[in-house]
Amino acid sequence: MANAIIMPRQGQSVESCIFTEWYKQVGDEIKTGDILFAYETDKASFEQEAEEDGVLLTTFCEAGDEIPVLQNIGVIGQAGDDISGFGQEAAQEDTAIEKAESVEEEVVDSQVELVLKDRVSNDKVRISPRAKKLAEAELVPYKKIEGSGPEGRIIIRDIEAYLASVPKTTPLAKAIIQEEGLQAPENGSGLDGIVKSTDLSSNPVYSDDFEIKKLPNIRKLIAKAMHASLQNSAQLTHHLGADARRLLELRKQVKATEGAPNITINDMVCFAVIKALKQFPDANAHFLGDSVKYFNKVHLGLAVDTDRGLMVPAIKNAEDLSITGLSNQFKVVAESCRQGNIDPELLSSEAASFTVSNLGNYGVEMFTPVINLPQVAILGVNTIVPRPADLGGGVYGFVPYMGLSLTYDHQALDGGLATRFLKQIAIEIENLSIDT
Amino acid sequence: MPKSQFIDPAKVRQSSKIEFKDIPVNQYDKSIEEEKVNFSKEQFIGIYHDMVLIREFETMLNEIKIKGEYQGIGYNHPGPAHLSIGQESAAVGMAYHLDEQDFIFGSHRSHGEILAKGMSAIHKMDDDTLMDVMKHFFDGTILKIVSENHQGDLKSLARRFLVYGTLAEVFARETGFNKGLGGSMHAFFTPFGVYPNNAIVGGSGDIAVGAALFKKVNQKEGVVVANIGDASMACGPVWEGLAFASMDQFEQLWEGAYKGGLPIIFNIMNNQYGMGGQTCGETMGYDIAARIGAGVNRDSMHAERVDGYNPLAVIDAYQRKLELLKDKKGPVLLDVLTYRYSGHSPSDASSYRSKEEVEAWEKQDCITSYGAELVQSGVVAQDELNAIKADVTELMKYSMTLAIDEEVSPRMDLVKHPELIGEMMFSEGSEDKMEDRPVEVNHPMEENPRVKQIAKKERFAFDANGKPFSKIKQYQLRDGLFEAIADRFYKDPTLVAYGEENRDWGGAFAVYRGLTEALPYNRLFNSPISEASIIGTAIGYAMCGGRVIPEIMYCDFLGRCGDEVFNQLPKWQAMSGNVIKMPVVIRVSVGSKYGAQHSQDWSSLVAHIPGLKVCFPATPYDAKGLMNTALQGTDPVIFFESQRIYDIGEQFHKDGVPEEYYEIPFGEPDVKKEGKDITILSIGATVYRALEAAKELEEKYGMSAEVIDARSIVPFNYEPVIESLKKTGRILLTSDANERGSFLKDMAQRITELAFDELDAPPVVVGSRNWITPAYELEDYFFPTKDWIMDAVHEKIVPLKGHSVANNFTNAEIIRRSKLGI
Repeated sequence: MANAIIMPRQGQSVESCIFTEWYKQVGDEIKTGDILFAYETDKASFEQEAEEDGVLLTTFCEAGDEIPVLQNIGVIGQAGDDISGFGQEAAQEDTAIEKAESVEEEVVDSQVELVLKDRVSNDKVRISPRAKKLAEAELVPYKKIEGSGPEGRIIIRDIEAYLASVPKTTPLAKAIIQEEGLQAPENGSGLDGIVKSTDLSSNPVYSDDFEIKKLPNIRKLIAKAMHASLQNSAQLTHHLGADARRLLELRKQVKATEGAPNITINDMVCFAVIKALKQFPDANAHFLGDSVKYFNKVHLGLAVDTDRGLMVPAIKNAEDLSITGLSNQFKVVAESCRQGNIDPELLSSEAASFTVSNLGNYGVEMFTPVINLPQVAILGVNTIVPRPADLGGGVYGFVPYMGLSLTYDHQALDGGLATRFLKQIAIEIENLSIDT
Repeated sequence: MPKSQFIDPAKVRQSSKIEFKDIPVNQYDKSIEEEKVNFSKEQFIGIYHDMVLIREFETMLNEIKIKGEYQGIGYNHPGPAHLSIGQESAAVGMAYHLDEQDFIFGSHRSHGEILAKGMSAIHKMDDDTLMDVMKHFFDGTILKIVSENHQGDLKSLARRFLVYGTLAEVFARETGFNKGLGGSMHAFFTPFGVYPNNAIVGGSGDIAVGAALFKKVNQKEGVVVANIGDASMACGPVWEGLAFASMDQFEQLWEGAYKGGLPIIFNIMNNQYGMGGQTCGETMGYDIAARIGAGVNRDSMHAERVDGYNPLAVIDAYQRKLELLKDKKGPVLLDVLTYRYSGHSPSDASSYRSKEEVEAWEKQDCITSYGAELVQSGVVAQDELNAIKADVTELMKYSMTLAIDEEVSPRMDLVKHPELIGEMMFSEGSEDKMEDRPVEVNHPMEENPRVKQIAKKERFAFDANGKPFSKIKQYQLRDGLFEAIADRFYKDPTLVAYGEENRDWGGAFAVYRGLTEALPYNRLFNSPISEASIIGTAIGYAMCGGRVIPEIMYCDFLGRCGDEVFNQLPKWQAMSGNVIKMPVVIRVSVGSKYGAQHSQDWSSLVAHIPGLKVCFPATPYDAKGLMNTALQGTDPVIFFESQRIYDIGEQFHKDGVPEEYYEIPFGEPDVKKEGKDITILSIGATVYRALEAAKELEEKYGMSAEVIDARSIVPFNYEPVIESLKKTGRILLTSDANERGSFLKDMAQRITELAFDELDAPPVVVGSRNWITPAYELEDYFFPTKDWIMDAVHEKIVPLKGHSVANNFTNAEIIRRSKLGI
């Protein structure tokens, strides 16, 4: 019997997902557990495994389609099964929503999808005066656009659809393009991809020396979040070093002890951060503009680098965990992130009360991490370097120091408090004890 | 169809025969000697003078046309000159008894009548009045010119004024009687009772009747003379004028001072030719034109043939006929026999008549023989007659010299004032009433049964919950028209309304229901089924200073008054040099359901003609407001109404149709529904179908349509349409008119021209098919429907996702139809 393949539901708030790719072709044999397709929410990318054996009989979507969750996107079954009952609406459960939507569905969207085509040079271009006026004003290469009007005429909605699909151009860039008869690049280096004058190249030798790729959804989201963070807060970073001898000692002990859990330096730093946070509730908070949300517990976000991009999963109630528990949790969520099956709820910046971003592994000596708004601060952890230190008694020697970079939102925290908090982290690191 | 008149079958089925009264022919036989008791020497000489004046005027023009000079003064006159050499006695005899209160109307050959009537008026007017007229006409421009170096009395100054003003008009000078805009065939001068002369043969045949109607309805002194040629007696409108003028109701239904016949003389200037066609023996069958009277009414129109070669015979006839008119026994028909030696026009080689014939008439020349008789009977010496001739020749030389002087008598300077003529097309007046005196009505407005009934109606179509009231409770479009018209009847004493079934029935579509009770016959009456006379008389009525609402029951009948609507009504304001105003509101009803000759929207035809205002309201609010504006104005308005929506309630003006008076300016289109994706511009009843389409576009395709009701089409302000177009980029135009050559096409072109860069698609016209209108049951295949609009949008403007078309709007189909002429 044929069964519908549905777009999985990802968290309460996700209404629809972007379908990314089918890994199987219609007609392929499917085994339970085979990766069937990939999709993205606004926060993460996922792969979906097949939940039964069978043959992929049909599909209802393709890359880039936005599909409401729980909607039927394909059918799996045995060859010859009747699939006529599987419309796209067949899998919808919420009848109330369905009804509300079915009324709206009578209205056909008058927007069109943009279709570009390679026009043979002697093809006649039909374009309405209004569309042409807009196209020329906005430098739209309208000859490449397939018209949706009568007899293939390019009409205003086609130009509008094109404009919606490409980055904007700064007035200066526009003027230069017009003056020099250049082709506007599809992507610019300005904010939100706006094409700036510096993006223009009038040298035909170099003009093709690049490849433009569309941003994956997650990249767009990260870009937006990071940009928003810098735009919407007053960020500054304090750098301070912590004596790392204690950490290195503990790490050596862990390594030396057979059978002990593999507690990393990062685990230890995070453990120390949690302790410091407990003493500085102002830093374990969200700044909401006209109010501040103080958390009773520490929910620690940890920046994880994955192939898909940067993800910051949260460890809920991290202060309740022993260092071993914390370490285990870190491993689990980091792996989920890399696998792409992390609960999207945990990726939300609202999920964590404070974030740690550790670049120490990569030898970074100092950086200015960007706050995950609405959190009020983020700790950047740097590599450990030996620094000359007064060892007492007139003796100077090299001591390993770990760089700590605290970026905080000056809207929420003042410099003194931030400094004391950072110092407290250093103190906790320098005096850390772990109980394995 | 008044109930007071019982058609008794017993009586009308009785056997009897019609007996005609004798129609006298050339019965005048008095000599000068016998007439000495009736005329003083001055009067005898005056008659001679006036004839010579005409003869010399016409001779001058003839010489100019043929030789390019007169008395050694060279001039080229390329314009028309239809001369009446030979007919002078007929003109002078006709005018002799008439004063400035008597109005004459004429033809393309009326120079003689202008001069004769002008001289007669000058003789009869007292000096003060005469001076006043000359002083105030065009701010004394002409008077100033002719006063220079003038010696003599006021009458002789007035003679100069008359001859110069007429000649300057013939030469199209701005100092002419009509600013040079009338010219030879149209010159006239109303202060002397000379009303428009008409270049359309028979054109005065119905217009003059309207002037007589004005005299009667407004109880004015004087009579009206329609000078028409013998050949015009074949013209339908002339017969319609005769029929209108001889309606029984004047005698049988009109009451009090209004009872009795119209004061009009149809004066056939029978020169026996219609251009080259000989009316007796060739192109007509009446033999003697006076015979026509026998067919018109019981009195045979008091018809008579008079020897027009003898001025005294004509004067005698007029004396008798004017007595008849004084006794309200009109209309009168006079067949004034005469002959023109001059050709129809200077290009006429007289190939249609023999030299002998012309010579035989010349031998009996009216001036020579009258002069000879005067000398013979000792009234005057030949020297005196010669002196008159010499004096008149000097006057002509003087007038010509002045009239061709570019300094004294310039033509309109259209370089300096390029819009001068444009500004004269409409008078743009705003007059509560055309005369200030009490109105004649039967009861106060509030006692009127229709007014009482309307008071109970809902002036907005929907209740507080948006539910429509029942049709019967709704204040309808016809009520809006009624209120505006009734209001004007109670304001303007000159206002009259007539047409077919206007009284008793209340108009075929019940607009006038209630007016019969309110108004006496002399303000509201049934006309004959005779559209040319309905409109022609309205034109004459307005020319004399009255306001009038003639009604054409079905738009399709407009063809029946084609000349009146196309040639007369629109022209006279400008052609008179703005001397004349034309407050005529023609109500025209556009039908449906009744097939090919009762369902046409011809608004495009009248919009094509310069000089007419054209409106076509589609809501009660607009109907009342536009009718008020039409009736307040002084310009001719063709007021279209649609039979589809006489009963429509007010759906747009949320406060309801105001009870009080308000005006809606002509030319301002009205946005009936706002939108942003497409504009639909409608003329007339299609606005409701446009709104249906807008609804479907919105509900099914997510497009919001702006629906604009043109309301009027001449004048028309394109700015709101362009503004809408800037928003939407798309426009569809619709009306019930045949799409080929319709006004919508004109609008589409204008819009393209004015807003080309705003267009996302060509303006698309959805009109009726270029067919005959089929039966009601097939009308959806002929008139635009909501579905046509949807299909046209889909096919020509913006493809609608999932829309399937039922009608073919493709280019290939348009080309196919055009090739076939359908």
